[in-house]
Amino acid sequence: MTDMKTLRFSLIAVAILLISGFSTNAQKLTGRDIVEKAYNLPTGDDQTSELTMTLINKSGQTRVRKIKQFTKDFGTVEKSIMFFISPADVKNTSFMNWSYDSDKPDDQWIYLPTIKKVKRISSDSKSDYFMGSDFTYDDLGDRKLDADVHTLLREENIDGKDCYVVQSVSKDEDYMYSKTVTWIRKDNFVGVKKEFYDEDGELLKTLTIKRVEKISGYWIITKSEMNNIQKNHKTIMELADVKINVGVPASKFTERMMMRGL
Amino acid sequence: MDKLLSKLLNYGWATMVAVVVISAFFVYEMKENTRMETDLDEYMPKDHPAFVYSDKAESWFDIKDGIIIALENKNGVFNTATLDTLKKLTKRFQKFKEIDKDDVTSLYTADNIIGTEEGMDVKPFFKRVPKSPEKLAQLKRNVETNEMVFGRLVSYDETVTVIIAEIGDDVFTQDFYDKILKTARASETDDIKIYVAGRPIVEGTLALLGPEDMKRMVPIVLLVIFIVLYITLRSLKGTLITLGVVFFSTIWAFGLMAALKIPVYAVSTMIPVMLIAIGVADGIHLYSHLQIFINHHPDASKREATIDMLKNLWKPVVMTSVTTAVGFISLLTSQVYPVKYFGIFTAFGVMVAMVFSLVFLPAGIMIFGLPKPRPIDHGEDKGGHSHSKLANSFAAWIIEHKYVSILSTIVIVVLSLIGMQKIWINSSFLEKFEKDSEIVQTDKFINEHFGGTSTLNLILDAKGRKDAFKEPRVLKLVDILQKDVDGSLEVVGSTFSLADYIRRMNKVMNADKEEFNTIPDNQDMIAQYLLLYEMSGDPENLNKVVDYDYEKANVTFQLKSDNSKAMNATLDIIERYTDDFKKLGIELNYAGSGYKGLVFTDLILEGQIKSLILSLIIIVVLLSIMFKKLSIGLIGSVPIIITALISFGVMGFLDIPLNTTTALLSSIAIGIGIDYAVHFLEQYRYNAALTDSKLVAAQKTMAHSGRAIIFNAIVVIAGFLVLLFSVFPPNRELGALVSLNMFTSFVGTLTIMLVLLYQSNVYFKDKKKKKNAEN
Repeated sequence: MTDMKTLRFSLIAVAILLISGFSTNAQKLTGRDIVEKAYNLPTGDDQTSELTMTLINKSGQTRVRKIKQFTKDFGTVEKSIMFFISPADVKNTSFMNWSYDSDKPDDQWIYLPTIKKVKRISSDSKSDYFMGSDFTYDDLGDRKLDADVHTLLREENIDGKDCYVVQSVSKDEDYMYSKTVTWIRKDNFVGVKKEFYDEDGELLKTLTIKRVEKISGYWIITKSEMNNIQKNHKTIMELADVKINVGVPASKFTERMMMRGL
Repeated sequence: MDKLLSKLLNYGWATMVAVVVISAFFVYEMKENTRMETDLDEYMPKDHPAFVYSDKAESWFDIKDGIIIALENKNGVFNTATLDTLKKLTKRFQKFKEIDKDDVTSLYTADNIIGTEEGMDVKPFFKRVPKSPEKLAQLKRNVETNEMVFGRLVSYDETVTVIIAEIGDDVFTQDFYDKILKTARASETDDIKIYVAGRPIVEGTLALLGPEDMKRMVPIVLLVIFIVLYITLRSLKGTLITLGVVFFSTIWAFGLMAALKIPVYAVSTMIPVMLIAIGVADGIHLYSHLQIFINHHPDASKREATIDMLKNLWKPVVMTSVTTAVGFISLLTSQVYPVKYFGIFTAFGVMVAMVFSLVFLPAGIMIFGLPKPRPIDHGEDKGGHSHSKLANSFAAWIIEHKYVSILSTIVIVVLSLIGMQKIWINSSFLEKFEKDSEIVQTDKFINEHFGGTSTLNLILDAKGRKDAFKEPRVLKLVDILQKDVDGSLEVVGSTFSLADYIRRMNKVMNADKEEFNTIPDNQDMIAQYLLLYEMSGDPENLNKVVDYDYEKANVTFQLKSDNSKAMNATLDIIERYTDDFKKLGIELNYAGSGYKGLVFTDLILEGQIKSLILSLIIIVVLLSIMFKKLSIGLIGSVPIIITALISFGVMGFLDIPLNTTTALLSSIAIGIGIDYAVHFLEQYRYNAALTDSKLVAAQKTMAHSGRAIIFNAIVVIAGFLVLLFSVFPPNRELGALVSLNMFTSFVGTLTIMLVLLYQSNVYFKDKKKKKNAEN
């Protein structure tokens, strides 16, 4: 076990996969260790990208949304801002999210160009689905490490890659998932897939990582697919034009910028 | 033919054994393969455009019927105990394997989106059950100010709150219903009462209750028929064999159905009804003839007697059965499969009963012997030409006072025609239950507190124009339509569409000010509200009112009644907007079980009326061919027409609506009317050939066929009057109407038909000519 690589789903970038430094320690890792390595690793300071989100319903109809997004890590808070490029009728609608490392709930703002006012959204549920997609905010990486109890179930070879299979069970009985099972690559801690089980213990969704690219020295998941098996609904997230550490100014993450648009 | 039948008499035991063995096979098939069909969708013609569209729309918008579980607390629902029960029950129903978790809606699962000065707040109404008075008061306020919830999930008087569990069409079973009731009842306390209602319950219970009640009632009907038959035939053997014919023909019909893997539909329960009413007729006529024969020839052997019976009666038995069967086969013109099956299998049963009457019944006589002869007192003055004094005087009176029959017939026909004007079609399921039954009372209770337990879905279709339902002019028209329907009709409790979401979002984004509870004029604003709702609310909710491309929308109307009058009144108002929508390039269609039920009932009636007319024509033609005279065909159809007319007329006067059961009853009028007419006509022809006097022919016929017809009528009427004690109203109507049809058929045959026969000089014209020629 030489390369110590960690998986992290970022709220904004959908899922950014990073490879952290090296691990010299070959001790037996616990489930929590594995997930911690995946969660707790330095990401780039900032990132910009263009997200194409394709929603596919059971009849095969699609809704395609293009979003320009900016993210910056401020240490204890990660701020992101996103602007809709298309469809045309929602162009320049913007959304800002501040996610805290502490237990404090996210701060969220929405700007609708036709209303011309920034509105604060207070939603206390992390279980909300992100923009009508099959990803919840939690799925996108906003989950706290110790909200779940992590158990290493087994090691398994999947598509020629050795993986840890970790089960995470929420400490909150009312949580929307009874458990999740994640396949994390042993060599670099890259996530391969994840299964989400509903309150009744039935498989609800599967996340499949479709494409990983190395950009500016970071491993980035640039295509992933979340499949809601129970609703027969799918979301494909694709990142393009990913730029890391380009020095996004702190002033980007303000209500004024939300109103200015792209 | 009679020779063949006579030969078969040598194989009495073989015939018996064959019938019993084949019946045993069919009983086995029934045991293995009989399946009740409770899914009413299975009754509908799948390829009818209205159903095709409705089915598609149901899948686009996930339209399902909902079971409504209502929690009532007279002291109000905003207290810890009631909310805790609500939460627990919601979760329990979500865990049912028959119910999708997402299809369960209650205050516990609903999101509260509210506008504040600085923005908006999206929260569940409660996760943990509120305990402190402050939190309970807050929840109460939240509910009261959210019109998406107030009046929908919590009643305006705040004493009732509901859980709605939507289920698929094929889910309902008695076990499932029992499980729901058990779960609900288990949570009842002194303060909290729980009610279960909704269309799936009504439909499901109905589909089970009707046949179940039939199962209970049919043995009693048979018992009564047995007793009355025994009294009339005065022969236990004859009674048993006659009923055996009915019994085995019913088993064969259902057995064949099971063998062909055709499920039992609610209408199929009418098959035994038809076969009982029609099947005993042949037996009665045969035994009646046999009895008269042995009365006249007390020394005849059973073989001689049976052969005489077959020789004289095989023709009318075949004629009546074939015409009746053809009448039922005309139901194949119906577009509704269960009705087609009903037609085919009843026809099959009638034909089987015919074969049994000609083979099984004689075999029975050969094995079990003849009834006792009742010698006739030849010395007595019978006042006429037959052996029966009563028949003689009755026939003479009818003929002498022919205008009484003619005038009463005219009066009755006119009255029936007036009554028929009042007939209305009802596709309601609920109105088939007792007014004071639990299911009706619960429904009434929920309708008093909420929008309504019945649903009509209006599907607006912009024919592929994407984003049509983001256009302000379109949404505004939808809004106007909803308000118009809601405001004009008492029976419409609430309406729901995409427009409600847009108005709500507009209000929320404008700090919850009521003046923004409108559709904005800016299309982009609507698009942005929708995006915002997707981001903050549950996007699944939107899928129920608009499709992915915003080119189709679903407007839901909650009605407090599922009867056709309510449904049609709503449709009438909606239809007024057809042109306005057309100008916007939008087409109106409908969906949902209520609408399908309405179309379905119309289809059944249309098919029934078509087949009624068709079978009347066929009967006239067949009778004309059989008797080789058009006049006989016409005269023979008179009792049938009168029976059908009176049946519909009485329904009109008594406010009995046409529905799937009552409509099919016109078939019985034909089946029975034909029996009476053919036996009477055949006997009349036979007697006419032996005499020059019309009166003699009439009196003999009356004594012979007339007697059998009266017996037949008494037996079946007595049997079906038993159904008046049924707990299931449609079965009561059935009993009353079958009895009425039997009665009018028999009266019509013995009075007006006899008069017409007499007046027409049929069978005597030729004689006169011959006589004149001889002279």
